[in-house]
Amino acid sequence: MHGTAAMDVSGKSFWERLQSVDRRILYTLIFASVIIPILWPLHLPTPVTPESRAFFNAVDSLPSGSVVLFPFDFWPSTLPETEPMAVAGLRHCFRKNLRVVGLSNVGMGGPSIADRLLDSIGSEFHKTYGVDYVNLGYKANYSAVLLGMGSKIADIYPADHRGTRLDSIPLMRQVPNYDSVKFVLIVSDNAMTDYWVALVNARYGLPMVAGVTAIMAPKMLSYIQSHQLLGLLGGMKGAAEYEQLIDHSDKASRGMDAQSLIHFLIIAFIILGNFGFFMLRREQSQKGQN
Amino acid sequence: MKSRLPVLVAFISGALMILAFFGRGTVVDAVSDRALTWQTIVGGFSLLLGAVSIARVHWKKVATKHEDRLYSLCLLICFIVMGGSGVINGIGSGTLFDTLFQRIQAPMMSTMFSVLAFFIASAAYRAFRARSVSSAILLVAAVLVMLGRIPMGQYIYHGLPSWADWIMTVPSMAVQRGILIGAALGAASMSLRIILGIERTYLGRG
Repeated sequence: MHGTAAMDVSGKSFWERLQSVDRRILYTLIFASVIIPILWPLHLPTPVTPESRAFFNAVDSLPSGSVVLFPFDFWPSTLPETEPMAVAGLRHCFRKNLRVVGLSNVGMGGPSIADRLLDSIGSEFHKTYGVDYVNLGYKANYSAVLLGMGSKIADIYPADHRGTRLDSIPLMRQVPNYDSVKFVLIVSDNAMTDYWVALVNARYGLPMVAGVTAIMAPKMLSYIQSHQLLGLLGGMKGAAEYEQLIDHSDKASRGMDAQSLIHFLIIAFIILGNFGFFMLRREQSQKGQN
Repeated sequence: MKSRLPVLVAFISGALMILAFFGRGTVVDAVSDRALTWQTIVGGFSLLLGAVSIARVHWKKVATKHEDRLYSLCLLICFIVMGGSGVINGIGSGTLFDTLFQRIQAPMMSTMFSVLAFFIASAAYRAFRARSVSSAILLVAAVLVMLGRIPMGQYIYHGLPSWADWIMTVPSMAVQRGILIGAALGAASMSLRIILGIERTYLGRG
């Protein structure tokens, strides 16, 4: 492998082949990295970041019976990342006896996901629909929805997701607008978090935290620094940290093993590719000198 | 009059919302609340418009025997089944609409998104080369953040998570904040241009 690297049948040198490993090999390794930790969990500990701890503390410090607005602002495509956050958030809220008002600004699937999660976690804690939690569903035009609820929620949502009029729901009779809401717990995979911050936190001063996909987290950190968000969960790692904090390991904690292996694999391949790139460049420059 | 009226409506609506933002509990606030309710109704109609438009586009493809007509037909069938079941039986838990969504649509969307992991890994391996100083900096930062964000990172070096945090909260955030401020200033100036009638492209003219 010294000097002129060995050529294969395709005429590629060893260093070139190192830069172009067949994608099927890469895909097989990624597939194995996902499957192996699911079958045999590694139980790798996840260190808790200050943002996740602040998220936990903000929810944990709410007095029992407080009303929490819980926007399920995510699409079904990001469920593996966002669902664990929403589940852990609901568990924490119900364990603290907080009352949850769910809604969604994502038309496609948001309300159905909210319904499923509210019902399943609600039943885990023996909570009653309409008394301890409610799902308002979806209404088009998020800016009008976010601002309009500040004055009168019933003007924007005359009925909940199941079609029951809001004045017939015991919980909603006590929550006419944002004045009765103590806190907002956003789970989002899109720009809705920005709108909650810009329209609701800025105008109504409602304290809020957000659980977002990993790709959105760097942007959201600026809201943490400006104290517009009190806490932040970033991607599956954030969800795993939150599960750890509420002492209930679930999907995110299991998923972190797979994510660890995949990150590691990607880094290994990037290093491998760059090593091949530098060695080839070195070889070519040596050839040029000769 | 044809162009003055929309400009006037835009000016009144925009000015009303700005004033209402600073005057909670005032008459302006009450008027803006009414306007917001109208806005959600208009939003509902725009969804309907979108649905009709997508159905027309794909029906046209089927009718003209376009080469992608099978995809369009598939979309139309799904559109009719999902839409029809929602309209007839409702969209609550346990309905046909909900079952179709929870059992078919949501897993399919998650699958499509998950497949990205394979492509991203392959693309990162092939494209991420330290060809210049700036790409080398990007590469090192990316590797540190990726390692620092996973539990395995701390086993490699215990300081890696704090290095990753520093990259995220100092240089990365400085750039993010710059982009945020720039975008906000752009949005504010564009809004002012619309409110003052300088920007009229929404009327359908350049």
